[in-house]
Amino acid sequence: MAKTIIEFQDIVKEYGDTKVLKGINFEIEQGKFYTLLGPSGCGKTTILRIIAGFTDATRGNVMFDGKKINNVPANKRKVNTVFQDYALFPHLNVFDNVAFPLNLRKVPKKEIRTKVLDALRMVQLSGFEEREISEISGGQQQRVAIARALVNEPDVLLLDEPLSALDMKLRKEMQYELRALQQRLGITFIFVTHDQEEALAMSDEIFVMNAGQILQTGSPVDIYDEPINHFVADFIGESNIVRGHMVADYRVAFAGKEFDCVDAGMRQNEPVEVVIRPEDLDITTVEKGALTITVDTQLFRGVFFEITGHDDTGNMWRIQSIHSTEVGAKVGAYFDPEDIHVMRFNESEEDFDARLETYEGEDSDR
Amino acid sequence: MQNKLSGWSRAYLIIVFIILYTPILFLVLYSFSKGNTMSNFHGFTMAHYQTLFNDPRLLQIVLDTLIIALLSSLCATVVGTAGALGIYETRHRSVRQTVLSLNNILMVSPDVIIGASFLIFFTMLGIRLGFISVLLSHIAFSIPIVVLLVLPKLNEMNASMIDAAADLGANPWQTLTRVILPAIMPGIFSGFFMAFTYSLDDFAVTFFVTGNGFSTLSVEIYSRARQGVDLEINALSALWFLVSLLLIAGYYFLNQYNQGRKTKRREVGAIIK
Ligand SMILES: Nc1ncnc2c1ncn2[C@@H]1O[C@H](COP(=O)(O)OP(=O)(O)O)[C@@H](O)[C@H]1O
Ligand SMILES: [Mg+2]
Repeated sequence: MAKTIIEFQDIVKEYGDTKVLKGINFEIEQGKFYTLLGPSGCGKTTILRIIAGFTDATRGNVMFDGKKINNVPANKRKVNTVFQDYALFPHLNVFDNVAFPLNLRKVPKKEIRTKVLDALRMVQLSGFEEREISEISGGQQQRVAIARALVNEPDVLLLDEPLSALDMKLRKEMQYELRALQQRLGITFIFVTHDQEEALAMSDEIFVMNAGQILQTGSPVDIYDEPINHFVADFIGESNIVRGHMVADYRVAFAGKEFDCVDAGMRQNEPVEVVIRPEDLDITTVEKGALTITVDTQLFRGVFFEITGHDDTGNMWRIQSIHSTEVGAKVGAYFDPEDIHVMRFNESEEDFDARLETYEGEDSDR
Repeated sequence: MQNKLSGWSRAYLIIVFIILYTPILFLVLYSFSKGNTMSNFHGFTMAHYQTLFNDPRLLQIVLDTLIIALLSSLCATVVGTAGALGIYETRHRSVRQTVLSLNNILMVSPDVIIGASFLIFFTMLGIRLGFISVLLSHIAFSIPIVVLLVLPKLNEMNASMIDAAADLGANPWQTLTRVILPAIMPGIFSGFFMAFTYSLDDFAVTFFVTGNGFSTLSVEIYSRARQGVDLEINALSALWFLVSLLLIAGYYFLNQYNQGRKTKRREVGAIIK
């Protein structure tokens, strides 16, 4: 296991009477790409500000390299930030913006020059040294901000929605570049976004947040395949979420029928929610289908048809199918037991992980 | 319609300027008149300028006035900028509003009242009226002007730059000198300039706090004008007017330079460093 570099211990942040962070715990390991993912206002920026030292936590410990740093001022912390609005200095040109932290440390001029040119080359801005900030595009400003934050060789780089102001194409490009940069430098990145696609594409680990709490931590695949609750399932990707109950281990009932599944460890007859991703549902004939669905709408999305419909008990279903069908038709929907993911109500992440442990061990034996 | 309107507004402007500038032009014109009164123009002469430059007392006063203006505006710029920074940093809303209101009250209260209160204040403290009392009072009434011109620049400034500076390792002093001051320099500059002009042409406050032996130009002109018309004063006023024009022009060009220096910002940044 890699070394833990940052740790939050029961961090609470209050503004007056409002609790913005409600007891945040996490560990950040060196050299990984982390993403804080959650809707606007859930406290992502506040977490970054507490790590960087711009904001104090109301309670709890911030640990860096095993030492408590709650009282270390921002300018003494070995983290650097790429701000959402870039926060470049308009009175300095590109070169001097990047050289700013080096000038502060009184690094020799020659060394500054080498380092700045290296940093600019890294973000593909060679030749832009003499440009004014007002003379370069938003995407280029963003690269300057990244270069400026990296030139100090921080242990951790914090990025607060750095791509949100860019257009779609540039954004995709920067996703690749940032990921590649992180892997090349081996620096820990903590990346904030409210865009789940971005989070899934770039991260080693995702923290899914809502309303000042971390709901689930895990790799993109874990979080996508095994969301802990309704919020996470809904927020990450598209999903069909229907109510049902557990009949027994590996047996779940929903939509008026019973199905095999791969989930266990719940009480008998416990009410649950069942998640099936639209791309895991296949259209077939009514006879072969596990569910009978009446098609309500159909949209052509290029690679697939997006079909919505309802089953006999009134649940709505969204299906991504490569074959077209007709509105009003009755079709069968087919899925495998592995495509079903069962979620308990109000299960904490610890309980969820513990429950998975108990039967996923057996899984691998089978 | 559009044309007609702009025609009217142009006419209006012209009339206003005529009303404003005629007395000044009149005054300047008579500074070249041979006579000793302003009733008739008696032909061209530079004699009044000659007496002016041979009047050491008057020249001393001009010098004093300039020194007072320069010193007071410099001090006021420093104090006022610090004050604006203080107000900006104040998180507490009501405190900030109160301080700002106190500042604005000083701006709008009549000079006579400010002057009288300074007079009472200085006599109470036993400060002798003269250079120091004038300087102190000029500094005092200039500070609110500077605050008022610097504060908007601070509010316009992107606040995350301050976080960014700290993030990159700047201590508070470095953040101030390398990030905040360059960002608000135009405001500081206009504050200084305004304070300078306010000090130069202040009469009411100064009138109260000049003692025997020390005087500024506006007070001197007033006392001489009371003794009867003296065309030497016209000459002096003409010169003074010229200086003001030069100051305005200088300010204008500096502003132009500031706007257009985008490509030259580097040097300015280097100077500040
Ligand atoms: N200085 C502040 N004073 C009061 N409330 C704040 C302050 N900063 C942030 N908040 C509140 O804290 C919550 C979380 O904010 P933030 O961390 O910026 O969310 P996110 O970055 O996830 O969008 C929001 O509801 C916001 O209104
Ligand atoms: Mg935010």
